[in-house]
Amino acid sequence: MDRREFLKRIGTLSAAGLALSAAPWLEGCTPEGQATIRGGKVRFGIIGPGSRGQYHMRNLAAVPQAEIVALCDDYPPNLEAAGRLAPAAKRYDDYRQLLDDPQVDAVIIATPLHLHCRMTLDALAAGKHVLCEKAMAYTMEDCRTMYQAGRRSGRIFFVGQQRLFDPKYIKVMDSVRKGEFGPVVNVRNYWFRNNDWRRSVPSPDLERRINWRLYRAYSRGLMTELACHQLQNGTWALGMLPVQVMGAGGYVYWKDGREVFDSVSTIYTFPNGVNMTFESVISNKHFGMGEQILCKEATIDLAGGRYYSETPRPRSGIRQLVGEIEQGIFSNSVFAGTSWAAESGSSDPGVAVMPGAEGDGSLEMLEAFCHAILTGKQPPHVLEEAYYGAVFCLLGDEALLRNEILTLPDELRIDYL
Amino acid sequence: MKDTIITARAKRRELWVALGCFVAAFGVNLGAIIHYATPWYELFSQLGYVVCLALGFYVLTWIVRGIVRIFRRR
Repeated sequence: MDRREFLKRIGTLSAAGLALSAAPWLEGCTPEGQATIRGGKVRFGIIGPGSRGQYHMRNLAAVPQAEIVALCDDYPPNLEAAGRLAPAAKRYDDYRQLLDDPQVDAVIIATPLHLHCRMTLDALAAGKHVLCEKAMAYTMEDCRTMYQAGRRSGRIFFVGQQRLFDPKYIKVMDSVRKGEFGPVVNVRNYWFRNNDWRRSVPSPDLERRINWRLYRAYSRGLMTELACHQLQNGTWALGMLPVQVMGAGGYVYWKDGREVFDSVSTIYTFPNGVNMTFESVISNKHFGMGEQILCKEATIDLAGGRYYSETPRPRSGIRQLVGEIEQGIFSNSVFAGTSWAAESGSSDPGVAVMPGAEGDGSLEMLEAFCHAILTGKQPPHVLEEAYYGAVFCLLGDEALLRNEILTLPDELRIDYL
Repeated sequence: MKDTIITARAKRRELWVALGCFVAAFGVNLGAIIHYATPWYELFSQLGYVVCLALGFYVLTWIVRGIVRIFRRR
């Protein structure tokens, strides 16, 4: 089943309360949802069309209801490159000028983290609908201010948590929430890379502007740039919020003047005792990126789009026989007896969640954003999921910095879950 | 290169040997199904493995018969 078929199915399944129960914000992607906005157009302004901003621009080109009318960047090479993707768009070097443009209905904010809050608040105040890139903001307090401003404004406000719109994730989460894989017993997230996370800089005075992810004045490093994608999985799967977080971070390999950790390990604990981990190291990439939900009866590999039963169907009799004979001939003899043997991982090939599924949810997110604007309805949960996704990343970063076990302060709780 | 003549008797014998190998392999599959308590439909679904095993048995009979012939010539 491919993406389009899945979205068609959502339309028919929604009446029975199936897939939409796990992703009520997806209504705008259904054929019925799309039909309600036929002929409508949303005029976009892109603030910060760097690599991520241009990625959104390419996706917007595939959304019939979207039109890019303005671009804004104070870094000329980015503005130039984005201008080639949308030659008719007006160009600005100050986002406030773009916000004054009455031709712009909605903005996508894809700037460095520390600018998200100010730009979002200004955009909402200017009457624009906002899709802000993740993580939501640089501090938990900023997240709360943005959340409250978004709710008050009556404008549509999304944060770029595209996994919420990825058909693979939605299908699996629907099954997890229904208990089809048994109770969730653990959630594992990791993101491993082996590079210095730097971008080339044409002149030294641009170092902090271009490599803003490495400096604490602009970013919270691995926790806000990577973890915020993944920590949402636990809340989504369990339908509850973590009660505490602990962790450790350090400068393990890249000791090059950066101000954010190059190695982090965090543990989030939910009220039912389930732990969710996030680990990231950028000096070894063997395990790559992974997001796994461990249930009593199956393991779900969200990133790989497969699930693995705890009791996989045994191989056929003849294959088991051949395997035993082969093992008898070729396996090493155990010289100290068999009193102890390590558990070896399963070699079960698993089952694809959605064979042939493509994309990461970014396109569906933009479709849903346009639908919400044209119908004037903020989809449920989108902002709340983004809020807690960001807040728990930031709380995790605080735990790393303070080397303490932290709980979410009551004043940062919102009316959700 | 000279012409090779395969007699009808030799052909019949090889066919019987091949059939015997297939029956033996089928028997192994049957035994495995009983031993590992797997579903009976494997009698048919695993025919590919049975054919491979039968081929293996057939090659084995050629090797054995070759060795026997060498010893007989001595």
